Amino acid sequence: MRRLAFLLPFALVLLGWQALGSSGLAPPEVLPSVAAVAHALADLLGGSEIYLNIGVTLARCFTGLAVGCLLGIPLGVAMASSRRIDGFFGPLITATYALPKTAVVPLFILWFGVGLRTEVAAVTLSALLPLVIYSYHGVRAVPGPLLWSAAAMGTGRVAMHWRILLPAAMRPTLTGVRTALGFSFIIGIATEMLAANLGIGKLIFQYGESGSYDYMFAAVLALMSVVYGIDAALLRLINHLLRWQDDDRAGAARG
Amino acid sequence: MMTARGPRVVERIARLYPLLLLALLWEAVTRLHLVPPLFLPPLSVVLASLPQLLAQGDLAMPLLISLYRAAIGLVIAGVLGILLGLLIARVRWARLLFAPLVAFGAPAPKIAFLPVFILWFGIGHVSKIALVALTSIFPFIFAAQDGAEAVPRQQIWAAQAMGTGPWRLLAGVLLPAALPALFSGLRIALPYAIVTAFTAEMIAGGGGLGGALVMAQRYFETPTVYADIVVMLAVGYLLDIGLLALRHRWLRWQEESNDAPN
Amino acid sequence: MQADEPGSLPKISITSLTRVFDTGGSRLAALGPVDLTVRPGEFVSIVGPSGCGKSTLLYMLGGFLQPSSGSLLADGRPITGPGVDRGIVFQEYALFPWLTVADNIAYGLRMKRMQAGELRDRVAAAIAMIGLGGFEHRFPRELSGGMKQRVALARTFIYDPQILLLDEPFGALDSQTRELMQDELLALWRSTGKTVLMVTHDVAEAVYLSNRVCVMSQRPGRVVAQFPISLDHDKGREAVMLSDQYRALHDQVWLEVRRQVGGKG
Ligand SMILES: Nc1ncnc2c1ncn2[C@@H]1O[C@H](COP(=O)(O)OP(=O)(O)O)[C@@H](O)[C@H]1O
Ligand SMILES: [Mg+2]
Repeated sequence: MRRLAFLLPFALVLLGWQALGSSGLAPPEVLPSVAAVAHALADLLGGSEIYLNIGVTLARCFTGLAVGCLLGIPLGVAMASSRRIDGFFGPLITATYALPKTAVVPLFILWFGVGLRTEVAAVTLSALLPLVIYSYHGVRAVPGPLLWSAAAMGTGRVAMHWRILLPAAMRPTLTGVRTALGFSFIIGIATEMLAANLGIGKLIFQYGESGSYDYMFAAVLALMSVVYGIDAALLRLINHLLRWQDDDRAGAARG
Repeated sequence: MMTARGPRVVERIARLYPLLLLALLWEAVTRLHLVPPLFLPPLSVVLASLPQLLAQGDLAMPLLISLYRAAIGLVIAGVLGILLGLLIARVRWARLLFAPLVAFGAPAPKIAFLPVFILWFGIGHVSKIALVALTSIFPFIFAAQDGAEAVPRQQIWAAQAMGTGPWRLLAGVLLPAALPALFSGLRIALPYAIVTAFTAEMIAGGGGLGGALVMAQRYFETPTVYADIVVMLAVGYLLDIGLLALRHRWLRWQEESNDAPN
Repeated sequence: MQADEPGSLPKISITSLTRVFDTGGSRLAALGPVDLTVRPGEFVSIVGPSGCGKSTLLYMLGGFLQPSSGSLLADGRPITGPGVDRGIVFQEYALFPWLTVADNIAYGLRMKRMQAGELRDRVAAAIAMIGLGGFEHRFPRELSGGMKQRVALARTFIYDPQILLLDEPFGALDSQTRELMQDELLALWRSTGKTVLMVTHDVAEAVYLSNRVCVMSQRPGRVVAQFPISLDHDKGREAVMLSDQYRALHDQVWLEVRRQVGGKG
């Protein structure tokens, strides 16, 4: 029942789309018909091209994200627990926060050439900042008494990080991961549109340039669905990892 | 006054030593020819090229074009997004109709729509404005929705008991109540808007600072590339500072800053 | 019982009223069944254990919540939603945080489209009455709990609703201010003849101010006892509160409330 309610608006959008086409308001060379796009989508899903290109994009984005996590989360935690480290990296983070990460892609192309390395480097860079900032704020927000009681029970310096700080700062850190995931796809696809041999961004752009608009729409839809699925899966994973936390919704009934 | 102020300014500047260190490293590496100048020209050369670029209008005009696109897109996103968010929070049919579409659209990498918008609107202003609007509408929707849903029901009831009708409630009570959240949303949406404008210009051309950057790269004018990047960075930074100052003035009534970490 | 006097249509009449909340699967009977009538110009207090549904009752009278069963009439007409005939002061104050003290108080008058000049005078008078002169342009966050509560009272009184629904309106005040505000409320009620339904946990306050005190049971709250009261307020607070009549009533009500809180009855 709730599934159905969720799908209803999409059905309405399809209906409106179809109506735009068949009323002649939007000619097919501007808005391909629902049927044409469905046909193109079926064709894409039957072939290997779309899987290859989405696969390449995902692999590069996830690699960049993973590198970003390995660098960014420890850095954020370190900055939160050491004045000196904070003092050094803080200004650098603030200064680069406002940098549009796509702007450095041309430089990366210059340095690393077109392809894998440029895209992974760009994704890493864009994922880094949210990861650092969210984990930093997460650790900073851990209440002092929690740390004191842990210390009183004989928790050492290293154990404090692993056993106390990380779990306590888990929610913001994972929110940072989710934000970084979003950034990764944006920068990955933008990079592919700027210069790439492979990838879904490249493919969509190619369909656009060659006038295969039905395929272009189909590829965009496929990409949106895949990203939506990944994001939803990550959200479920986060909720699973944090199932020990007080549920916000528990108190919501009282309003 | 001066004596109290002087040391604080010095202290503040001293705290920026990592940036200075980085600049020195950059200068040294390039002066020692450890990297080819085509990859990384000396910082001094980049900075020296700024006045000339400014004088020729090679920076200001493209920057204005980019900012224009970002601003218009942001305004459209703000108006539509806030209205949608408030409706989703308060009106049943609006929630049923729009919430699923918003949930599906929010995580999508909006840049993928660039070819679609180029098809519909060409490579001029409109396609970029549309992409900016599509990108930055979601922070507004969520901010307005969260803000409106967090209003205590007694506050809404108090307004209703004093004769506030439904539209007045939306504009006169829920909107101001959501204002702090909206500011946080704007603070997220503003960099989205600018980055999207730059990126769309880089990919699709059609002028603007992003276009200028790509052209400079194509002609191997590496100092110009770096100069463009420096300008983008400065613009983003200054706009964020301006926004915070604005919030400080407008939201005096608010208890404490509810900044999301960003 | 008293509302059956001939010729006086009850201002509020509550019949077999219940409210059940759906709390994620389980159902919670919060209130009722409640039967209660309030005559025009009467001042009725409700006391009862916390969580017995007192606020819920006021919310339904305000028209913000729907009853699960039973009927609710104001001036003989069913209550279908909020209306300016019923003013409410919330336990949580519910001030608008983006409006200053003066603008909060003026809100109801603005909704009535009162002229700027008259509005300014009325607001100034109200601010003087609640002793917040000099705080006109402060925001709620800059006020203490007691000050906020006074603003909430003024905000509701100023637009002159026929019925006042007060949810523990003096709860956050220190005892001096509380007595001051009680006497202001008393004077306001005596001079305007408004109908007041007040929820409180302070037995002394209920007995001192009201024509009638209703004691409610544990959740789901029902009216288990009513005490008609007629004190001569012309004699002043001290004389009233030191009188044997007052003390006897106070003790009766206090014992009944104790019995309810203890869970018996
Ligand atoms: N919206 C709601 N959902 C579920 N339970 C509620 C809700 N509102 C009130 N309750 C419950 O109903 C009971 C009565 O609440 P309330 O009227 O606030 O009591 P009182 O004002 O007498 O202290 C309480 O047990 C409370 O937890
Ligand atoms: Mg209550």
